[in-house]
Amino acid sequence: MNTLKILVVDDDKLEQKVMLKSLAGQEVDVADDYRSALRKLNAGHYDICFFDLLLGKNDNYSGLKLIPAAVEKGAYPVVMSSCETEETINRAYALGCRDFYVKGNEDSNIAAVIARYLRGGAGSAQDIFSSGFITDDPSTRSMIIEALKYAPAALPILLLGPSGTGKTTLAKIIHDNSGRQGDFVAINCSAYSEDLLEAELFGYKKGAFTGAHDNRKGRLLQADKGTLFLDEIGAMSQSMQTKLLKAIEEKCFYPVGSDRPEYSDFRVISATLEDMQQLLAQKKLRFDFFQRVHGMTITLKPLEQRKCDVFPLINAFCKTGKRLAFDDDAKQYLLRHNWPGNTREVKRFVELVSAGGEGRITKETAHRHIKQVVSETQQPAGDFLTQQQYDFALKHGLNEALDRFAYEAIKRNLDENKGKKVRTRGDLKIATRLLYSMLRKYGGK
Amino acid sequence: MAGTTDIYHGLESKAASLKSAVRLLRDCPPEEKREMIALMREAAQDIQRYLAELEKILSA
Repeated sequence: MNTLKILVVDDDKLEQKVMLKSLAGQEVDVADDYRSALRKLNAGHYDICFFDLLLGKNDNYSGLKLIPAAVEKGAYPVVMSSCETEETINRAYALGCRDFYVKGNEDSNIAAVIARYLRGGAGSAQDIFSSGFITDDPSTRSMIIEALKYAPAALPILLLGPSGTGKTTLAKIIHDNSGRQGDFVAINCSAYSEDLLEAELFGYKKGAFTGAHDNRKGRLLQADKGTLFLDEIGAMSQSMQTKLLKAIEEKCFYPVGSDRPEYSDFRVISATLEDMQQLLAQKKLRFDFFQRVHGMTITLKPLEQRKCDVFPLINAFCKTGKRLAFDDDAKQYLLRHNWPGNTREVKRFVELVSAGGEGRITKETAHRHIKQVVSETQQPAGDFLTQQQYDFALKHGLNEALDRFAYEAIKRNLDENKGKKVRTRGDLKIATRLLYSMLRKYGGK
Repeated sequence: MAGTTDIYHGLESKAASLKSAVRLLRDCPPEEKREMIALMREAAQDIQRYLAELEKILSA
């Protein structure tokens, strides 16, 4: 990062010192009052200007009057104040202020302001949706914009959604926009046995157990001043949850085999594809642990519910490889497909199609590759029943659910066969009577 | 004597600066630590002055 030129305008000597310390490494100018601040603004070029609102005794918000001058000079104006009334905040933003924070946590506030300045302020959401988290879906976009507002806070975030919906990607984006200087450290809790997970999270001392030949730093310590991303938290045992809860609350923990505590200032983002309420009801998840990790909850929709993202995702995955052209039939076919493996399935599909000889993709080519991807990413037999299907069966009875399932399969296959019933009978291996009875019952034919 | 709004603002402002300064103090080299402590003491005296003014208003 290049050095930034920064102007700090504050009449309080201690606050000036705090700002100079917090902005160490940047080129910082300081002004005590309105006049000298205006002089400096007119004479130099600044990337960021921090303004206190009241400059001196009996001052009438002269800090606000400096905002237009900073805007005119192309600087990024930031108000830092201890009087955050709604009126002053509105006035500051109306005058062109880009950021407003309450004094008292300069270390984290300043890091967050610089991170926002470097990514171009609020206008950068568009970049996130076109290259970070690719989505054109309005509700997903607004949810992510909302989440980004909380990125600089220490508030824990819980990400819910089926596998492949982008939970890890979103966690990384939140970290990148948090202004936290430490690393983004991810761990999949379902990939470890309880003992191994404890050693992985807390680290261990040499000789703590067979195979512990050296001291090893745990993920909690690696995430110091950064973000700890706990994926699949539902897979964690109750006793592990208790240990982690304590570490999250106290930011202090003991590595395995050590009697000396370690300290780490990490922010927690967790994720699961399971139903949290069910995990709580089944007592697989401790309520106190749940409370500690769900400060803000974001539920990501499966691709089936945001089909507008299918082609933007395909285009994004093509960017680094061969460009592809899709026939209209192929496009329709891909939009009808439900993409049960979500983004991961789209990525695999693009890899397969790109590896093939064709650059122009017909419906047949798409169908052939989709079949292969689905068989590769097929869920295990125990997961065949989706939660939605199960809920439907409970509400309407199993017979109605089976009929509904039969109709959906028939309708989709008919669409794929351009309405040719003979083909559908053959593909689904069903009698003509069943086909017609389902179409009568649900299709009104 | 300042009005109560100014006193409360002054108190908030000084307390906020003190809080931020405390966080930075631990990692300061000795010379800078002395300078920082002197500024913190001035801020603490300002807080004391504001509180005395507030007490006067309350007892008036």
